[in-house]
Formats: sequence, C-alpha cells, structure tokens
Amino acid sequence: MAEGFVLDPTGAAGQDNASPGPDAGPLCGRHVGIRVDRIWRAWDWISAHWAAELRAAGARVSFWRSTDRSGAEGERQSRELEAWLATLDGAILGLANCGSCTGWTIRDAIAAANTGIPTIAIATRNFEVFAHELAARGGRSGLRLHVLPYPLNERARGEVEEIGRAHFAPMLAAWGASLTRQERAA
Amino acid sequence: MSIIPIAARQAKPQPFARTLMPRDCGTGSCEVDVLASARHEAELDVEGFTRFALDQGWGDGLPLVPPTEARVRAFLAAHDRFPDEAICTLPPANAVLTVEKIAINAVMAGAPAGSLELLIAMALAIAEPDFELYGVNTTTAPVFPAFVANGPVRTRLGIPCGHGCFGGAASPAVAIGRAMRLIIRNVAGQVAGVTSQTTFGSPGRIAGVLVGEWEERSPWAPLAERRCGIAGDAVTSFGAMGTMNVLDTTSQAPSDFVEMIGRSLIYPATNCLSPAMAYGEVMVAINPVWAEILAPAFPDIADLQAALWREAALPGESLQARHREQLEAQGRIRADGRIYLTPEPKDILLFVCGGTGGLHATVLHSFGSCLAQTQPLAGPRA
Repeated sequence: MAEGFVLDPTGAAGQDNASPGPDAGPLCGRHVGIRVDRIWRAWDWISAHWAAELRAAGARVSFWRSTDRSGAEGERQSRELEAWLATLDGAILGLANCGSCTGWTIRDAIAAANTGIPTIAIATRNFEVFAHELAARGGRSGLRLHVLPYPLNERARGEVEEIGRAHFAPMLAAWGASLTRQERAA
Repeated sequence: MSIIPIAARQAKPQPFARTLMPRDCGTGSCEVDVLASARHEAELDVEGFTRFALDQGWGDGLPLVPPTEARVRAFLAAHDRFPDEAICTLPPANAVLTVEKIAINAVMAGAPAGSLELLIAMALAIAEPDFELYGVNTTTAPVFPAFVANGPVRTRLGIPCGHGCFGGAASPAVAIGRAMRLIIRNVAGQVAGVTSQTTFGSPGRIAGVLVGEWEERSPWAPLAERRCGIAGDAVTSFGAMGTMNVLDTTSQAPSDFVEMIGRSLIYPATNCLSPAMAYGEVMVAINPVWAEILAPAFPDIADLQAALWREAALPGESLQARHREQLEAQGRIRADGRIYLTPEPKDILLFVCGGTGGLHATVLHSFGSCLAQTQPLAGPRA
C-alpha cells in the first residue's frame, strides 16, 4: 500500500500543573468552603456532617450551591463562585457523581485550586478515573480527590451518614489537613 | 426556590455576520499559510488509513479519507480564511479549534470543500458559554448538538429540509455533521468512557444531525430570524437528547393538533423535569402539511408556542412522591397544581421541515442547562 504523510486532526492541550496545591494544614480559625449541588441529597447529608465536624474543630464553614450554569443565572453563579472562593482558606467541592456534575465539580475545583487555596474534590468510586481525567484535561492533573463509595445517593440516609462519618478523617488526610490535639478532642 | 426564566447572559453580544476579505496570494502559498499540524506517516488508502486513525484514537469506526496536505489545502483554497485563525476553544480538552483543524477533520469526514463557513458557524454556536458544551460532552446523557440551517446555504450545500431530513436523505449534510462530530472527538476531546460518561450514547453522536428549515413551505419567519433577526445564512445549535416521534392520524382542527403535540411533549423523565435544573428547552419540527393547517389559527408563531405550552404540563400529583418533592422545592409546581415543561412558551422552539406525507412531528428535548444558540455565517464582501 502507498504510504505518505497525513495531518494530525487533534487539538493541542494546554499546559499542565501537576501540583496538588498546598496542604490544608491546621483548620482552627480557618474559613472552609463546601460546594454542594442541587442533585445529590446524599452529598447534602455528608457535607452537613463534615461541616459540623469542621466547626467543632474551630473552623468557620460556609456553603455554596451550584445550580444552573447557563444564561443570566449561569453568569450570576460565576460571579458568586468567584466572590465566595476569594473569602476561603480552603475548599471541599462535590459531588462528582455523574457525567456533567463531575465536569462542573472538577471545573469549580480547578478554579478554587488556581486561586492558591488548599482544594479537594469529592467523587464517588465510579467517577474517580473520570474526575482525574477531567482534572488533567483542565490543566490540574495533581488535583486532590477523595473517593466515596458508589452507589451513594440510592442509599438510606442513615447509611449515607455512616459513610460520611467514616470518610471524614480520610478526607482530611487527603486534603493535607491536620487537627491539633484540642481539635481532635473536640 | 422558584422557576428561573431563561434569559441570555447579559454580556452576550448579538451575533453578527462577519465580512471576509479576499485571501488571494497569487499562484504560490503565503508565508502565513503554513499548515502547522504534526505530520504522521500512514497508509494512504482508505482501509489502511482508517485502521491507523482508529489506533491513534482519531476515528469513529466509519471509513475515513486520509487528510493529506494536498487535500487539506484544496479544502482551504475554496475559502477566505487563513489556517492558523483560532475560531474558539472547545471543552473538556480546552483545545483551540483553528481553521486548519476544521479543514483536517472535514477532509477526514468527506465533507464538501464549500462547507467551511458553515462548520465555523456550527463550532461558534456550540462554543457559546450558554450552550454549556462542557456538560454536553461529559454527561452520562446521550445528548449531542443538533443543527438547524437557515438561508441560501441550505441549497448551496444540499442540506435536506424535506423527506428524511433528520436521517435517511442522501446529502452532504451527513458528512458535514460527521465532520463536526470528529471535531468534538479530536479537538474537544470527547471520548466515550474516558472524558464522556455517556451511558448509552446516541446515533446522533456518529454523524450528528444537520437539517434545513423548509423556509419556502413555512408560513412563519425562519427560525434564525425569529431568534436573532438574521435574515440570511445562519445555523442554530440545540443540545438534543435524541429525536422523539409524534404521530397523529386523527386530528383535524388546529386545536386538535396542538393538543396532541403539546401533550406528547411532556413525560415524567424528560430532562426538562429533572430536579437538577430549573429550566430546559424543547425543539419541535413541524411538517409542512401541519404548518399549513396551523397557520390560519396561529398567524403569529408565538401564539402557537403559547398554545403548545399550555398543553405541555402534568398534574403534580401524577408524579411519584420523591420526584414531586424535589420539583416542589424548586417552585416548579404552579398555582394550578401543574408542572409545565418549560419556564415560558418561548422555550418551545418551532421550525418547519419534513416530508409532504405529514402525519408526524419530530421532537428534540434539551439537556441540562444547555441553551440553543444561533450564529450567522460569515460571507464575502458584497
């Protein structure tokens, strides 16, 4: 068969930042932001439990809810997210539990990481590889990720809350957070 | 929470048709005319190149035309564009789509050389932030961008408006639609199971959907003119979850058709009723026979949209409790106890196409917060 040269049809990817970003470090007195969404009740329950734990450890916690990302509402959301991130010392962003919501979780997590604050995204098991892939395509291949079991949203509330309790310490470890002895006691 | 009416971004400028300057370098190529893409050694027959392209992750499974420099240059020569012009950035890869990349993928798909300006307008229409291409390309849903063309470009490129326009009519639109799908694969980086979590995918993800509005048989102004005041060549992108057929062999009066179409538009699991978002759109292709019946009763198409919207609603209590509660929390159950498909009648997008056999409408439901976008085609200076 005749051989020759063909032109590459793919687009060039942007530069990658493989750093996971800074460790969250001690949390007492810090402002921690938790991103929630409108889809996953299970993530509302888990993040509420984690917020209580963080507050008990001396952190201030605020929530930001992702809703519609297009039109005038999307524009408002973009402004709101940017303003909220500017107030934070660290961010926990979820939930990567479907295709587009993993996309938006990772996109918002990259925005948070790019502000320089300690950042961790939360995904469920079935979307772990996908979340890493999107982080890499978004230019932050080192983005920290903590993984919750899948399925999650389909479980009863008590079971979900138990998962939240069990995953709090491992999430802190992945985020590079350290609790003082006093914080641990609290 | 309450229902959020769909409004375009405030900062969004009204689209306008760009005027292109002649790009004539004489018999030789210009210095800025260099094709910058990497070269790969490959077999140049279709079978060999298709195997090679699949190995590289460039292909969709159908035969591909090898994009040699000569073929890509021939494609570009028909237009007043330089190959290094950046058109837009496409997620999730966030790679820049240049004229050169459009030409390479179009050659691979077998698209006609005259289709470059249409492909550019299609790319711009999906790159608009309100189209939410990031979600479209990554979701578990089967969504794909469908395109409706208006203006003389329909006849220049042979885009079907009549029988089988959504699939089955032999036309260059198939290759043009496929070129856009290859761009989404090779530049935007959408790969099923890698960057796209699509559970089932869709036939629309192979060659896309590109139809023309049958303006000559429509009693109303063309879609692009109604949406953006564009009277000439334009294309409208729509994030389609698939096509759904509406059959009606019994209706006679306009009100009968409105009831049948409107009631068919809504079902509990449509994306427009997803608790994940407060709004959605739906596109309805009306065949020319029904358009003729409907027009005397609805000379203003906005009145037809309103009539369909009133029918496209479900009683709140018809949904299972868990689903209803989430919609209730969003304020989507209105004072009359019903849930409407879209926030407002204007969100039901109508256009005319299809065969003269009538009897059917084709419905496309939208995905997530993906909003339809209309772009004019650039043209030469008059």
